[in-house]
Amino acid sequence: MIGLVQATETVKLLLGIGEPLIARLLTYDALGMRFREVKLRRDPKCPLCGTSPTITDLSIHRNGAGGACEIAPDGRREPAVAAPAAKAGG
Amino acid sequence: MKTLKEMLAEARQVVPEEGPADLQRRLQSGDKVVVIDVRDPDEYRDGHLEAATNISRGFLEFRVGTAVTDPSTPVVLYCQTGLRSLLAAKALKELGYQNVINLQGGFQKWTQSGLPVVKDVPMNADQIQRYSRHFLLPQVGDKGQRKLLRAKVLLIGAGGLGSPTALYLAAAGVGTLGLMDGDVVDITNLQRQVLHTTADIGKPKVESGTRTLKALNPDVHVIPLPMRITVDNVMDVIKDYDLIVDGSDNFETRYLVNDACFLAGKTNVHGSIFQFEGMATVFAPNEGPCYRCLYPTPPPPGLVPS
Repeated sequence: MIGLVQATETVKLLLGIGEPLIARLLTYDALGMRFREVKLRRDPKCPLCGTSPTITDLSIHRNGAGGACEIAPDGRREPAVAAPAAKAGG
Repeated sequence: MKTLKEMLAEARQVVPEEGPADLQRRLQSGDKVVVIDVRDPDEYRDGHLEAATNISRGFLEFRVGTAVTDPSTPVVLYCQTGLRSLLAAKALKELGYQNVINLQGGFQKWTQSGLPVVKDVPMNADQIQRYSRHFLLPQVGDKGQRKLLRAKVLLIGAGGLGSPTALYLAAAGVGTLGLMDGDVVDITNLQRQVLHTTADIGKPKVESGTRTLKALNPDVHVIPLPMRITVDNVMDVIKDYDLIVDGSDNFETRYLVNDACFLAGKTNVHGSIFQFEGMATVFAPNEGPCYRCLYPTPPPPGLVPS
């Protein structure tokens, strides 16, 4: 299901049609068979795309796997929106 | 009886004209504009403006409604030298399109100004049949299909997410698909990773994936990249693609892909799944948030399985 959403979004973006899933997070719960949409906003404090970025190249990724992520300037561990917990799994 | 010269002069009184540089500025500004090439299809195929839709003069009044839904939208018409389109523009004005502009000097002056054109490679008979259902969709059509065939998409991961994505993109006729995965097919992959078959167990995923995609659509140029994405190869790999699809299965890769795409100005179509739940979004640099806005830090180790 999610792979198909990705394929559909890709085709839409390539064609420049419709409303892309930018600044929106679509969540899918297969057991409940429910989709939910969460609006996303840019975080002005984001170390990458915020107003005063601290990540300007990929060197942070050279410090080992953990180093890739331990960068929140204010030590925040909460996501910027009330989003479902991050989960791994391909 | 009116002479042609008189007809053109009359048309010029009601139709404003713009030169190639004005049109180029309009296109680059991002403001809404519809560009219609009113020449015959064979002239269009030989070279046209990328933004242009082809509606030849004879069909203009019948088909303009599919290209221009709001009659107040600026519409720029062009032909080879700017005369056919001038008369065509007058006809559209009479139909009630308020903002019709003629490209002065037409396609000829556009190319002489050194502005970019695209040339359509003729589709073969198989392609015309294969994509016939796309041609029926006004939002795709012949022009959209050609865009898809010219497009280059990188799929990071040929697993649970990458498999269906790759199949659908190949079926739709996305011309170049980079398939990146460093793993080999394991029997435990097969209940969800539909790119691979039982006979592929032990083979690199990009190898079985390439074979499946080529079998589905021989039009697609599949580039197998049998490696993990790393800090050392990511920038070099993504630079060749229009769009990146992240179907990876771990946080390190997601942060790496996010950062690299943002720095390279590439849009990242993100997805992840775990058991019965999944999520998808699009990270477009400077248009919306990135993965780090959403997850400033990864969940502590141990909280989530990898």
